[in-house]
Amino acid sequence: MNIAIWGQELTAWATAGMLAQSGNNVYIVNDTEITDPVIMMGSSISNEPGLKDLIEQQFEKQNLQMIQSKSAVVIATHILSMNPAEFEQAQNTVAHIAKHHSDKVLIINQSHFGVGYTDKLQTLLDIDKDQVVVYLAENISEGEALKNIHKPKSLTFGSTNEWATMLTRSLLRPFSSQLEQLLVMTPKEAEFAKLSITGMLALRIGYINELANLAEQLNVDIDVIKQSLGADPRIGHHYLSPGCGFGGNTFSQTIKGLANLLSEKRQSQLLDTVLQENEKQKEQPFRKLWRHYECDIHKLNIAIWGVSFKPGSAALDCAPSLKIISALTAQQANIHIHDPEALENIEKLYGEHPQVHTYHDKYEALNKADALLLLTEWPEYASPNYDEMKDRMKAPLIIDGRNLLSKELLESLGFTYYGIGR
Amino acid sequence: MSVKDLPAWEALKEHANSMQTTHLRDLFLQDSYTDKPEPTSRFETFSVSHDGLLLDFSKQRITQKTVSLLKDLSQDCQLDQWKERLFSGDKINTSENRPALHTALRQPYYNQLLLDEHNIVADVHANLAHMSSMVGRIRAGQWRGYSGLPIDTIVNIGVGGSDLGPLMACNALIDAQPETSHQLKVHFVSSMDGSQIANLLNQLSPATTLFIISSKSFTTIDTLSNANTARQWLKSASGVKDDLLNRRHFIGVSASADKMDLWGIPKNSQLNFWDWTGGRYSMWSAIGLPIALHIGMAAFKEMLSGAHAMDEHFKHAPFEKNLPVQLGMIGIWNINFLNIHAHAILPYDGRLSHLPAYLEQLEMESNGKNVNRQGNVIDYHTCPILWGEIGPNAQHAFYQLLHQGTESVMCDFIAPARRYGGFDSTELEQQHQLSLANCLAQSRLLALGDAAIAGNDTAPTHKRYRGNQPSTTLLFNELTPFSFGQLIALYEHKVFVQSVIWDINPFDQWGVELGKKMATDLLKPLTNEQSSSPFDSSTEGLLCAILSQQRQSEQESH
Repeated sequence: MNIAIWGQELTAWATAGMLAQSGNNVYIVNDTEITDPVIMMGSSISNEPGLKDLIEQQFEKQNLQMIQSKSAVVIATHILSMNPAEFEQAQNTVAHIAKHHSDKVLIINQSHFGVGYTDKLQTLLDIDKDQVVVYLAENISEGEALKNIHKPKSLTFGSTNEWATMLTRSLLRPFSSQLEQLLVMTPKEAEFAKLSITGMLALRIGYINELANLAEQLNVDIDVIKQSLGADPRIGHHYLSPGCGFGGNTFSQTIKGLANLLSEKRQSQLLDTVLQENEKQKEQPFRKLWRHYECDIHKLNIAIWGVSFKPGSAALDCAPSLKIISALTAQQANIHIHDPEALENIEKLYGEHPQVHTYHDKYEALNKADALLLLTEWPEYASPNYDEMKDRMKAPLIIDGRNLLSKELLESLGFTYYGIGR
Repeated sequence: MSVKDLPAWEALKEHANSMQTTHLRDLFLQDSYTDKPEPTSRFETFSVSHDGLLLDFSKQRITQKTVSLLKDLSQDCQLDQWKERLFSGDKINTSENRPALHTALRQPYYNQLLLDEHNIVADVHANLAHMSSMVGRIRAGQWRGYSGLPIDTIVNIGVGGSDLGPLMACNALIDAQPETSHQLKVHFVSSMDGSQIANLLNQLSPATTLFIISSKSFTTIDTLSNANTARQWLKSASGVKDDLLNRRHFIGVSASADKMDLWGIPKNSQLNFWDWTGGRYSMWSAIGLPIALHIGMAAFKEMLSGAHAMDEHFKHAPFEKNLPVQLGMIGIWNINFLNIHAHAILPYDGRLSHLPAYLEQLEMESNGKNVNRQGNVIDYHTCPILWGEIGPNAQHAFYQLLHQGTESVMCDFIAPARRYGGFDSTELEQQHQLSLANCLAQSRLLALGDAAIAGNDTAPTHKRYRGNQPSTTLLFNELTPFSFGQLIALYEHKVFVQSVIWDINPFDQWGVELGKKMATDLLKPLTNEQSSSPFDSSTEGLLCAILSQQRQSEQESH
């Protein structure tokens, strides 16, 4: 099938690659002068595991090609994976497509414009002629995008048109081997469902973080509480790890959208509060450091392990590390950063900064350090060489923003250890 | 020689004899009866505008002769020489042997002003730079409290000049706040009895509150007792030691670094100003820190430029075009020749709600004096009683007296022509028009009386308005940091002009000293110490009543 993909989000590229791999002729809409897909993706997307190779391979096989928008509009199948702020562009695109078609057209919207926006796009097309906009909730997480698209367990799909539903199902067929549920509903319901899921996850994280902060004050270990919570079948273990806040572009933007909707329509501050507390939580490791050194960290050497907003991604969008680096630079501390993937991105932001230094060897970042802040739970940080760490550090102080390490072990080795909620 | 012996004074006195019986209504009538080919109206003759400010003096009981005689008086009093002495840093505050250099606080960095061969403009800008770095850090959310959370609440502890100016400016410039992600709340605490601070502390979070202790001497008991209450509050909430709280939760602003050291303010949290800045002239200095925190450093500097622009105007503009000189000299005419001893300040803009209180201090503490520069008691009036209120609110309070009472009162009507530009609300714009309509209506009615409304001259006496109350209307284009700076500097220089005519020193305030000393004596009997001397029977009686009440409540609580 010929498919045009509109948008520059991770979902757009991952979907393009996977659809091309399963035999479709996929056209990436591109009105710029750039011809190299890797440059076009930008580093934060091309760092997605496996994606760069897949895209290059599919371009080589010519299953994947660039196309200008004026030629793309004549294609009969489209996917919109655009930024939430680009609704106006989406409207223009759909209006253009409408002008070039008198027969059937399928547009699959995967963008997070909000609830009811797929229906708004539909008004630009004639549904009686089977010119249809459907909504397919993307559920990829950065770092696992290809896997998520390849073998989803469930899909939420919004369509009221039989032909469009049939066609979308057949497109998804190669990815349905492990599909347990395909939930078909109206586009508006599907958009709302997608938002609700993200909001629920944010609430869980917000709640466990609040409990962790309280546990700390009551001198209770949050790990124990977490086990007990998870063991309750009504609750389960997912998204119950306390830490120094959530980040990520899509996740944060989606929650912001839902929070705005809630406060506007319902005067409910529930998610706004979660977002505000999350911003505070991002600085929790800084506050522990601050109190440990009695409110003076001027000229201290602070090592940071992990700056990406989560392991498996190089992205820094809304990452807790960014807030901590600003707080540390403002206090005139020197910062020594290691990250397996995100150093290049940090250098782009802080390359010229005299207080910020980057290291490719995680132990080198620890030389003469007055503290180590662990902010991203990359697997390679889970069992480091503690002797080497202690030798290199000036003060054996570890602030573990992800509760990755064992408090008991570290204390027995002579480290001072602070976790989140323990 | 007294000012009263000057020929210009004599001439004005004589002129006043005829003006005493001239009604403003009749002065305005001459507008329509003139036989000149191109008649100029009273408004054209008696209004002066400069750089966005318009002062309309046409509702003052003056003629061109009055203005020309006032000019003679200002020359006889050597106003120009005094201006020169003020700006050049001459020690014109003779009783304290120092200059009064608030104008230096708003000089641009490239200017130079030598005081004892030292360029104080450089000092001023070094201090502004220090202030700017603090403001930047706090406004960015990077000034951290004891817990590591960013400071989001500022409490300014100060009294008099360390309170009124910043408080007024923060209210006036509320629309000048730049949009930021880190919102700061700024509060002011001044009252000695602790009632303000007690209420406020209940609502604040200790971890994110920063206190500015502002006191020129750093010995003001009102301020230090509030500061100690604040520190104790932080201490009991945090369990953190004093030294750490001092470092992260206090900024000191004072001319006495030693006293700040003694209280525990660390050096890099100290902002200085100088003994050549009077308290009531100090909001341009580090005392303005709450203003800068509220509106940002860029807007604070705009305010300084506005004041500097007024300084330059005051220095160079000729008598007829000089706003502060006109404002001051017409005040002299009202007070000393028309015998008006009450002055109402009436802003028609809610943002200027604290301007009357500010001007009460500026004018009455500066010129409320009865001794001239030679140390002789004088036999003419100086500063009148000054008070005021937001105009539309005052209309429901004391305007009755203005219109139908027995006192002559001079009024300043103050209003911006434009407001609510950035609000996109026709309702609010409508409210502003309503406020302006009231401003114009009141000054017109005060001046003309019944004549303002056709047919009212036949009304029963209790509905009659005698009019002839003089007023100045001060209209500025828009209330911005710049125009606000101009406005305040305008009044500062007006006060100076009057002090020159009255031959008094406007920069000291010996009248507030003895009360402080007496209070120290009276604290003794109240804290069960032996007092050194007996007081008068009234004081003894009151002391006795207080102590017996306090003893009674102690017994009840046991």
